[in-house]
Amino acid sequence: MLLKTVWLFLILLPGILLAQNKTLSGQVISANGTPVAGATISVKNSSITTIADADGRFSLSVPPNAVLTVSSTGLKTQTIKTGASITELQVRLDEDVARLDEIVVTGLSTTVKRRNLANAVATISSKQLNGTAPAQTFDAALEGKIPGAYINANSGAPGGGISVKLRGVTSVYGNSQPLYVVDGVFVDNSSTSAGLNVLTKALKTGSPTSNQDNPSSRIADLNAADIENIEILKGASAAAIYGSKASGGVIIITTKRGKAGKTKISVSQDLGTIKVRKLLGVRNFTEANLARDPAASPFLVQQFKDAAAAGAEIHDYEKEVYGNTGFSRNTILSLSGGNDKTTFNFSAAQKDESGIVKNTGYQNTAMRLNVDHKITENIKIGLSTNYINSSADRGLFGNENSGGVTTGVALSSTPGFVQLGADAGGNYPANPFAASNPLQNIALGRNNESVNRFITGVNLDISLQKNSHSNTKVIARGGVDFYNLQTNVLFPGILQSQATSKGTSIQGFTRSLNTNYILSLVNNFTPSDKFSLTTSAGITQETGDYNNLLNIATQLISGQSNVSQAGSLNATQLRTKYLNSGIFIQEEATIIDAVTLTAGVRFDRSSNNGDEGKYYTYPKAGISWNLTNMGLLKEGFFENIKLRAAYGQANNVPAYGSKFTSLAVSNITGFPGVIVDIQAGQADIKPERQTEFETGLDFSLFKGHLGFELTYYSKTIKDFLMLTNLQASSGYSTKWLNAGDLRNHGIELGMNARPIQSRNITWNTSVNFWMNRSKVTKLTIPSIPQGSFGYVLGSFQIQEGKSATQILGLNGTGVGVLGDAEPTFQMNTYNEITFFNKLSLRFLLHWKKGGQNVNLTSLQNDFGGTSVDYDNVSNKAGLPDGFYRITQVGVSAEEFVQTSTYLRLREIGLYYSFTSLPVKWVKSVRVGVSLNNYLTVTKYNSYDPEVSNFGTGFSTGVDVDPYPSSKRANFHVTFDF
Amino acid sequence: MKKIIIIKTVFLLSVIFLFNSCKKDYGNLNNATVEDFLKNASPGDLNNLVSGTEAGMRNVIDLYLDDVGTIGREGYHFLTSEPRYVLDLLGASNGTLSSSNFYITNPWAARYRVIKNCNTLIQAATNSTLITDGQKKGYLGFAKTVKAYQLLLNLNLTDSNGIRIDVDNPDNLGPFVDNTEALTAIISLLDLAKTDLSTASVAFPIAGFTGSGTERFDDAAGLTKFNRALAARVAVYQQSWTGALSALNESFFGLNKDFNLGVYHVFGTGSGDQLNPMFIPQNQTGETRVAHPSYATDIAAGDDRINKATLRASPASLNGLTSNRDVWVYTSVTAPMPVIRNEELILVYAEANIQTNNLAEGVKALNIIRKGHQLTDYSGAMTKAALIDEMLNQRRFSLFFEGHRWIDMRRYGRLNQLPLDRAGDDVWTEFPLPVTEQ
Repeated sequence: MLLKTVWLFLILLPGILLAQNKTLSGQVISANGTPVAGATISVKNSSITTIADADGRFSLSVPPNAVLTVSSTGLKTQTIKTGASITELQVRLDEDVARLDEIVVTGLSTTVKRRNLANAVATISSKQLNGTAPAQTFDAALEGKIPGAYINANSGAPGGGISVKLRGVTSVYGNSQPLYVVDGVFVDNSSTSAGLNVLTKALKTGSPTSNQDNPSSRIADLNAADIENIEILKGASAAAIYGSKASGGVIIITTKRGKAGKTKISVSQDLGTIKVRKLLGVRNFTEANLARDPAASPFLVQQFKDAAAAGAEIHDYEKEVYGNTGFSRNTILSLSGGNDKTTFNFSAAQKDESGIVKNTGYQNTAMRLNVDHKITENIKIGLSTNYINSSADRGLFGNENSGGVTTGVALSSTPGFVQLGADAGGNYPANPFAASNPLQNIALGRNNESVNRFITGVNLDISLQKNSHSNTKVIARGGVDFYNLQTNVLFPGILQSQATSKGTSIQGFTRSLNTNYILSLVNNFTPSDKFSLTTSAGITQETGDYNNLLNIATQLISGQSNVSQAGSLNATQLRTKYLNSGIFIQEEATIIDAVTLTAGVRFDRSSNNGDEGKYYTYPKAGISWNLTNMGLLKEGFFENIKLRAAYGQANNVPAYGSKFTSLAVSNITGFPGVIVDIQAGQADIKPERQTEFETGLDFSLFKGHLGFELTYYSKTIKDFLMLTNLQASSGYSTKWLNAGDLRNHGIELGMNARPIQSRNITWNTSVNFWMNRSKVTKLTIPSIPQGSFGYVLGSFQIQEGKSATQILGLNGTGVGVLGDAEPTFQMNTYNEITFFNKLSLRFLLHWKKGGQNVNLTSLQNDFGGTSVDYDNVSNKAGLPDGFYRITQVGVSAEEFVQTSTYLRLREIGLYYSFTSLPVKWVKSVRVGVSLNNYLTVTKYNSYDPEVSNFGTGFSTGVDVDPYPSSKRANFHVTFDF
Repeated sequence: MKKIIIIKTVFLLSVIFLFNSCKKDYGNLNNATVEDFLKNASPGDLNNLVSGTEAGMRNVIDLYLDDVGTIGREGYHFLTSEPRYVLDLLGASNGTLSSSNFYITNPWAARYRVIKNCNTLIQAATNSTLITDGQKKGYLGFAKTVKAYQLLLNLNLTDSNGIRIDVDNPDNLGPFVDNTEALTAIISLLDLAKTDLSTASVAFPIAGFTGSGTERFDDAAGLTKFNRALAARVAVYQQSWTGALSALNESFFGLNKDFNLGVYHVFGTGSGDQLNPMFIPQNQTGETRVAHPSYATDIAAGDDRINKATLRASPASLNGLTSNRDVWVYTSVTAPMPVIRNEELILVYAEANIQTNNLAEGVKALNIIRKGHQLTDYSGAMTKAALIDEMLNQRRFSLFFEGHRWIDMRRYGRLNQLPLDRAGDDVWTEFPLPVTEQ
């Protein structure tokens, strides 16, 4: 009872102190006079705060001579001295072109304004992410938008699958993908193989799964339309406080939350088409061409003659298979609103898209409810809940060793004069040129991934103590990411390729549960206007529990997919489990709003480490020094000149199971057996440690209309984790080792500008340039080719003193460096031009200069004798080019290591808003058209320069008959009520 | 301020306390570990290692047979998605065999993996207190015999480049030894195994060792016979003709026994079992394994071994190579694959006799083979040279796609007699050592 009274007193206290307040009202407008809804108006050094309504109006009760700060996302914060007499005011907020007032998350529970930030933290707004030409999946929506990142789509298959590498390769075979955090929940981004290796035999070890199964990344499940903004911590100097999982960087996603006020309802509908981006073309078979072709057997010539004599139709199977026009529809309903105690944001979205290959496509249905509630003035709780159901039909593509079972490989050896179409009864003829009839595979085969997923996060904010100089809060954040993934692969017995297996059904069931929490205590101590200290300390814990069961049934009962309806059934199960825990302390000091010092340390341990009880220590420190705020330089031509430097360490824990030498199970006619696994255990495996230093200079010109951000970084990865190839005579092929050190360094230059601002036209633009170079500084094991397909076709190889992503191969005289997957540099520019506040043109241009791929798609077509330029003669030997290129196999791999430079108009959209409408209940209608991926300038000779047969791992850029990439055209309409 | 510091300190201390109590090691959730088996293995555990060893002997065996069979011009493996079977292995144009490619790295690693398992079995059996000495000798004899066989298969690929014999300690592997020394080591390993088996009691299941009728190979006596059969093969490789004859004597060899009596790799459709990887149905497209055209042109009229290369409905061709016959040695997904069988032993007997100038005995053995395949008796010259030709010819057809032709031609210095199909093709004498071993 006593306690309750004390609480009550604490809550009422501010009210008592504010007894002599006056009421102040006003309106917040933007530079061109439109009201700014949702702007935050607060009284400095107090907890008084309010939010502007839809017309930008506000009113609040303030003490005399209060200093107001008025802020809104994307606009410059204004500080206003109210004086004694003013009771009505209009506040104009300029566009924050240089985004100096943006709040950036720097700690696990603390934030800082960009103007005081020690790191270059990239942010992507909702408009940039999803407002120009929406991509199919969330991961695809990131492409070209993050300066400092190398983002590469694995293929064009529906449902995504994209590799994001921030500031170079951060690991060799260890996880090099960033950590995704959605509203405080660490979200799983693993890829689960559907067991396609059973069909493709891409990996010849008999394993049902391989890293060539091209699964999607689970982050693709997120609905981009729900996202308010994204912050990207690119390396350890910014991300150290995230500890164990942060060495690949951290992508912090904040979803849209409700604002107090009238309930807003918005309905939007997209309709569009999806078409293949590029076709390679097919060979024109003629008798003369075949006569000149030494690889054409007399039998092939005969087949051609017979077909010609029979007047057979000549097909362009590439076009028939990839030339389908897919349709997309995407409906989003959102509701948001609330009162000063409770706000909510609800959205429901459904997307249904078909692919450029028949019977492929993507569906995603998602619901989100975000609720914020003030239990008392001092206790706030925020809930985020998200349910996702997604389904992707991805087809069977990529590398294989089954004689033409994947679509691309089957097409590569199939000449256009053979007849593959179904007869009237739906029966497909056997393809005499490959192990499968691709038309039959597409019509009757299935490769589906479907997911049911819940992501729920809680954010609890308790104010323990508050006075004019200090406030202390407990911030607890945590959440659960749970999904069930079902992979469903069915290749019925009627298929040509199923002559031996007589039908294959591969049913995979995956259950993944990830949890995390952060408990922290944060104290803000502001002894004076000129000095403030933010101290935070806390504990974190992350757990993961993954369980994958794969059932492979062959010898199916005709027409059945149920794995029990089979003559042969194989089951494999894979489980992984981890617990990471950490302790952190961070101190941030701000001196006269000009110097910000940050120092922190985190202690981490993980059950995946060799010594699971050992804490590893990861420090971080940063300084930003705003010369103009300091008064050292006068605000004149240059404004907000800021020097900054940051240092930090983060780690990447070993893969689960790295420490064990397992015995693999076997069966020989019913006798169970065990055989030593090909992977040797490493009992004292350590996490790899990344140390990053970054420094930069930021400044703006012309009253903030032009802002620059220049950054240099250098990060070293010590003890990098590598699945090394052992001397196979040891009986082991691989072993996880802390194999050496590598370094990445690079620069990032960014410019934000508003070149035109007039009453009728505004043009906002940002231009970024970034480049990275890596070098292996130490390698403790012998250097051998890794990934890809050996020197004959071009292979990655880690070598001391060389770039980590170099590509080696035969060069005619021996083995030499033929390329490097690392781009020379990348640039992007995002532009938005607004006319009359109504019409908006937005586009994103992305240029990747340099960097090589290993292109085996064109080799495959040459080998199959179907490449479009097969019969050209441009080589010295005077042979058909296709044949000549094949003769280079084993002599030189230069032909296959190809530069994958591209300039890509990734997104362009034109939108118009109608705001004065005949009916009152509709507030506004926006219509738009957009094109995604429509224009690419590249000399690269395959479907797309963005490709990765080996998924998101280390050996990116290997091109083996992927699902071709597509381009999207969409019509959009949104109604706001 | 002071209060805050106290709050923080208490908070941190409680956190650290809380944390130290919840460290976790989940162990291996997916498999048993080697360490588990080395402690004190039960007979059941050891039997698992035996079955694992036998199962592992089948791994990548198709690639071994393709390597040997392609270079020995027994046939081609056409795979539209894998150019290297018809480019690298046949030495097309200026290409060479690469030390980093699957055709050497994969079979090499698969054989040494089995050897590792044999070494684990030896160590686990030695450490175990739950078995009798006779049982222990049984496990040891089996493990050493299999180990010797696996070493031999790798030596067959790398030949003069040699192999490692001592691979017990993965962190300190023994040196590479040349072909002669390796064969000596293999023979002495087989001899050690024979000694172990002489006092062994064998009661573990070995699926492919059931023999036929009363002739079984899954007991101590049977395993010894298998061991000696392998020793006979190694002896002819060493040109130790008398050694071969005495080994045959203790093996399951019999001039009048079934040609197919022997030890096999067996396959099944059970969960985790393997299908015969050499099986490809007849008349497939896309992936085919076809006989070299010379198989049909060189075979004698009426020879029933023509049925090992059946006529296709339409020829298969790739990259300038064509054949109209499928390899039809492994005729179903569960067809067994010989490790060693009596037909080879009869031919070894013929070879050893011819080489020791016991020509009549040699011809007698060859005629048994000829008769068994619907041919009349040998009528050629009764010279050693002519009979060696005949013996190699019979080996070619009798042991088609069982992994012998290339090695036979090599040990008789006749690789230049193998046919070349395209201008620029080569016949390799050996594989380079895998890149990891260099």
